[in-house]
Amino acid sequence: MISLHLFLVAIFISTTYSVEVNPKIFINNVECLVDLSTQLVKGECRISLENNDDKPVNYVLYAFEPSIKSHVSFVSVHQVFESNRLSLNVKPVIQPGHEDKQFYQIDFNASRPLKSKSRIPLVVEYILTNALYPHPEEITQKDRQLMMFYGNAYFYSPYNSLKSSVKFQTGTRRIEDYTNFNPVSLSSGDIIYGPYGSLEPFAYSQISIHYDNNSPFLKVTKLTRTIELSHWGNVAVTEVIDLIHHGAKLKGSFSRYDYQRETNSGLSSVKSFKMYLPASATSVYYRDVIGNISTSNQRTLLDSVELDIRPRFPLFGGWKTHYTIGYNVPAYEYLFNSGEDYLLKMRLIDHLYDNMIIEDMTVRIILPEGSVDLDLKTNNAIVRLPDDLHFTYLDTIGRPMIQLKMSNVVESHISDFELKYKFPKAFMFHEPLIVIVAIYILFLTVIIWVRLDFSIAKDGHSETRQRISGIMSAIMHHIDRRSSIFSSWDESLNKLKHSKDIGAYNTAVKQIQADYKNESTSINELATKLKTESVELTEKLNEIQKIEKNLKELFGQTQSLYTDKLITGKVGRNQFVDLDNGLKRKKDECQEKINQLLKSLN
Amino acid sequence: MKTLLTNPAGWKSLITFAILFLAWVSGFSARLFAVIRFESIIHEFDPWFNYRATAYMVQHGFYNFLNWFDERAWYPLGRIVGGTVYPGLMVTSGAIHYVLHALNIPVHIRDICVFLAPIFSGMTAISTYFLTKELWSPGAGLFACCFIAIVPGYISRSVAGSYDNEGIAIFALQFTYYLWVKSIKTGSVFWSVLTALSYFYMVSAWGGYVFIINLIPLHVFLLLIMGRYSYRLFTSYTVFYILGLVLSMQIPFVGFQPIRTSEHMAASGVFALVMAAGAFNYIQTRITKAEFKFIFIFATLVASGIVLMAVIGLTWAGVIAPWSGRFYSLWDTTYAKIHIPIIASVSEHQPTTWFSFFFDLHILVCIFPAGLWYCIQEYNDERLFVVLYALSAVYFAGVMVRLMLTLTPAVCILSGIAFSKIFENYLKEDGPVVSNVTKSVEEKQPVKEKTPSKSSQSSSSGKSKKKPPIIVSSSVSDNSNGEGVGSNIRSIVTISMLLVLMMFVVHCTWVTSNAYSSPSIVLASFSNDGSRQILDDFREAYYWLSQNTDNDARVMSWWDYGYQIAGMANRTTLVDNNTWNNSHIALVGKAMSSTEPKAYEIMTSLDVDYVLVIFGGVIGYSGDDINKFLWMVRIAEGEHPKDIRESDYFTERGEFRIDSQGSPTMLNCLMYKLSYYRFGDLKLDFRTPAGFDRTRNAVIGNQNFDLTYLEEAYTTEHWLVRIYRVKKPDEFNRPRIPVLDRKIRNPGASAVSKKSARKKKGIIQGKPVVVKGKKPKATNTYTNGIK
Repeated sequence: MISLHLFLVAIFISTTYSVEVNPKIFINNVECLVDLSTQLVKGECRISLENNDDKPVNYVLYAFEPSIKSHVSFVSVHQVFESNRLSLNVKPVIQPGHEDKQFYQIDFNASRPLKSKSRIPLVVEYILTNALYPHPEEITQKDRQLMMFYGNAYFYSPYNSLKSSVKFQTGTRRIEDYTNFNPVSLSSGDIIYGPYGSLEPFAYSQISIHYDNNSPFLKVTKLTRTIELSHWGNVAVTEVIDLIHHGAKLKGSFSRYDYQRETNSGLSSVKSFKMYLPASATSVYYRDVIGNISTSNQRTLLDSVELDIRPRFPLFGGWKTHYTIGYNVPAYEYLFNSGEDYLLKMRLIDHLYDNMIIEDMTVRIILPEGSVDLDLKTNNAIVRLPDDLHFTYLDTIGRPMIQLKMSNVVESHISDFELKYKFPKAFMFHEPLIVIVAIYILFLTVIIWVRLDFSIAKDGHSETRQRISGIMSAIMHHIDRRSSIFSSWDESLNKLKHSKDIGAYNTAVKQIQADYKNESTSINELATKLKTESVELTEKLNEIQKIEKNLKELFGQTQSLYTDKLITGKVGRNQFVDLDNGLKRKKDECQEKINQLLKSLN
Repeated sequence: MKTLLTNPAGWKSLITFAILFLAWVSGFSARLFAVIRFESIIHEFDPWFNYRATAYMVQHGFYNFLNWFDERAWYPLGRIVGGTVYPGLMVTSGAIHYVLHALNIPVHIRDICVFLAPIFSGMTAISTYFLTKELWSPGAGLFACCFIAIVPGYISRSVAGSYDNEGIAIFALQFTYYLWVKSIKTGSVFWSVLTALSYFYMVSAWGGYVFIINLIPLHVFLLLIMGRYSYRLFTSYTVFYILGLVLSMQIPFVGFQPIRTSEHMAASGVFALVMAAGAFNYIQTRITKAEFKFIFIFATLVASGIVLMAVIGLTWAGVIAPWSGRFYSLWDTTYAKIHIPIIASVSEHQPTTWFSFFFDLHILVCIFPAGLWYCIQEYNDERLFVVLYALSAVYFAGVMVRLMLTLTPAVCILSGIAFSKIFENYLKEDGPVVSNVTKSVEEKQPVKEKTPSKSSQSSSSGKSKKKPPIIVSSSVSDNSNGEGVGSNIRSIVTISMLLVLMMFVVHCTWVTSNAYSSPSIVLASFSNDGSRQILDDFREAYYWLSQNTDNDARVMSWWDYGYQIAGMANRTTLVDNNTWNNSHIALVGKAMSSTEPKAYEIMTSLDVDYVLVIFGGVIGYSGDDINKFLWMVRIAEGEHPKDIRESDYFTERGEFRIDSQGSPTMLNCLMYKLSYYRFGDLKLDFRTPAGFDRTRNAVIGNQNFDLTYLEEAYTTEHWLVRIYRVKKPDEFNRPRIPVLDRKIRNPGASAVSKKSARKKKGIIQGKPVVVKGKKPKATNTYTNGIK
């Protein structure tokens, strides 16, 4: 807040700062070129100044007529010094007694003031907005758009001038009318007033130029530009634009037939315009409140991305539209850091369309959550609104948001801002941690919910059921173990069949028998427990046990077949194979039955 | 196999969960065709109103929404939105929006609205699973869940962007039915209260709640006649009815209807019956069984007769409102055509064709009678419910295309049962068969695995004790069936069934992609090289209206476009899709079908500023206003039979034509003029003459006419939407005075000086003027030649 106050005070001082006109300075020669061919009035004056004073001068003044005071949007001055452009500082000032005029103070470099009795060439460039008036104010679809410009035949200055001339470029040969004020000459769309001889300060003679201007008269009445920075490597830019065609208003009906079939129909209307985005811009969108505007094209050029913006409908005089443009640019091009100090450097405004006028603009810069010590530097005269907080995905304390306001902006105002801030690196883990904790809590609740019993009434039935299922799972475990014992028995029998090594087999079987006994006893123990809980299941279990015994007997038979007959060779090969297969089949059957029963147990 | 044996419950729940999750995901993604092809946008007509209402509620709060008087609709009458809308849809998305924004997730309300229906379709799938599980088995439930997730009959109403009541109502319907079945089975007050709450949600969401409040009593009634009365039935119905009644009356739009209209009377009648049955049941303990049976049936019939008479009597006395016209049209399909043309004019109110049954349900429509048969064969309380559900839904779906929606869930449940049964028989745990069939069977196998294991494990899954014996006996009989079939036949049947299911999936995807995924406000056409062109004329026109007309401008259009104009252009409309006032619509229809001067009278009396018509003649769009025009004439004739006669718009041979053979009334009516203004000059291509209408393939009959009372305000790029401004009386009824005879009344001093100044200028610039005057004369023919 304090910084804001200081800033406002600074603006206040600079605008009220008053200066004197030094009468010893005069203008040797001035040539002005005023371009009227677009919706802007672009002036460029080459001034040769001479200091007739005894002492060097640090600054000079530049003045605008009272009639165009409110139209001045941008002024810049440079000095050509040894074929180098040297920009000079310009600031608006107020001259006592001349409050109706607009003055700009041009400061020379402290090291290079305008010395006494010396000359200096200056180039003043200015841009006026809304200085052209449609005349007539309303035209039909097939009419051409005519513009009226009211200007000054003389070069307007607080100083005496010796020689001056003003040239108005209309960019068209269709000039309806212009004020005949000698000496004046017209050549291929250029109207030149002058050269004039010696002129008093503030010499003024109104002239008007009425000419054909069918260039797009588009004005952004309101622009909201949001720059959202993410430290994960992305800068999202969104521009919400209110656009109006402020040329001559359309009178009468709009005929689609004429617009499609006749070439000279709707000359002043704007069908589409181009917008240039930074070269690294990706995922561009162009939409309005009712959805995507499908009539646009994107082309990637070497140094920029060109958007061919076509509003949903052609814009005729007085018609409005409203749309949103958004895109992403990678942060590494604009964000610099050393340690925890960051610097964001990017354009405060960007190109919307050629010769744009923005009446009212709000820029919002949203920094990552946790940024502190914001320090903003810009070149333009801006108003900084109070900072705010912005909440978006996973934010808890909010992201700092800087809000800036500017008005009457043109393309020349495009420049970078620099925003310094501090960001503790540990904050990067803030949001992932929130997600992790949230998921952890979710799982924990599910675990608690599932594992713990929240019922008010005691459910005896389900408790029994749980006990049974506990016993059953223990039994299942043992049965599982037992069946694996059988399979290992099977294996050792097979081994015996091939190797005929009874010694090894006997040791193996001893172990198997012992294991089997263990499992059987534990199953029996569990079975007695189960008896008290469920009769039905016990019966089934008993059945399993019975088949199980059969199975064991079968194994015993196989064993005796192998040990007694095969090894001793008491039996013929074929007979042995028959017997063996018979046993195997029986074993499989038993196994199958057990499986069936087990399944029904579940 | 062993681990599966030792802990099948874990596997079972994992697989169930996985299948349900996949069903949700695939159902959700199948509905995204429109979003991917076009964009995240609200579709069609009604959703635009719902969206507008939701946006209003989000902006102004719930209570302001309930009190909202919308002065932008039905000019000059307006509409009390809070009292004429089912708020469930708006409240649902508003609540989602509220929760998300409370968590700082800035999702736009439009995106919530767009994706609401797909999300709820997933919930529908899951509640269908639970319902079918209660009715039959978890296996059947999984089948039903997968079917409903992708079946076109339901997708047609729930694609992303189709933000309509049906999107959430089908979920509420299925969930209510699940809870009802659950409460019937358990007889617990808890489940019946949940049923009533779910019913309340359904009432708040869709007018189709009437289906529930008639179907459940019908079910109870059937159980009563079948002598299946029980305390469970008594508890669940009485709790449900009373709570449901009180809750449903909390919705402003429903109000006192549940006790005042005929549609709801069946429920209260059955309530009385259940009470009577309860009383009889009490008496039963006092008298012998044989006596009682006679008394019970006799008294039931008498009681129902009395209730019926009472309802008729009250209706006759005027206490209960008779059935509404829409309701009659359910019984007599020609009723609407004769008495309410406005209902008949909506294509989704037409009777269903056989083709669309197959189109929307594919194989399910063939297989669901089998499921129905199984349910009848092995009936119990809750299966009788699904039988009634299916039978009534089949009837309603036959009457109206849009009621196909209520049939779809029933069909999915029954087909799920049928498929589950088939696979149970032919995929019995038989080693070779399982290994023969390819991997896709593996996925199905667990389903089958579950059914037999489930039945014997009833104790651990907390099911009622009544069911297992039935299923065990059935599985025994299955075994005997299955063993009788050779393994070849088994695999043939299994594989062919799988093929059928696969074709079903392909069909569903194809239908969804081709028939149900167009937002209808954005049209796409394909040029010869295959590239897609988007025709965005609707939004072009609506956006033009919203940006470049007065904020309170009144737009007259046919009622189809009312919601879209209000939603996208934010302008006042005369009539819209909430067709509650027939005479107002007829007035608009009359204006459209009258001649220009007569229409102007109507338009000035209605304060119309702009007229919007849809014209498809340039691009061949068939859903335009000329093709709908006969309905306008019919509706207008219904209210103004003296001024408008349908026969005037036909040729002598009874044809509806717009070419030179067309009837003069047709060629001079406002709709014709607005559609074809300056179209006679337009030559579309070299093969066709100027003024050739591509939609109707004819050269228009009345070509060179001018409009007196209206002027073209805007026409979109492809002429699809044409907007005309109605001139003010001072703009056209001045007599034209030749330039020479014109007198300027009081020029005033300033004007004189101006004139003289101009003249002076003219004198100074004399030379160029003279030159200019000469030049064109000399080169007139030459320049013309160049041009």
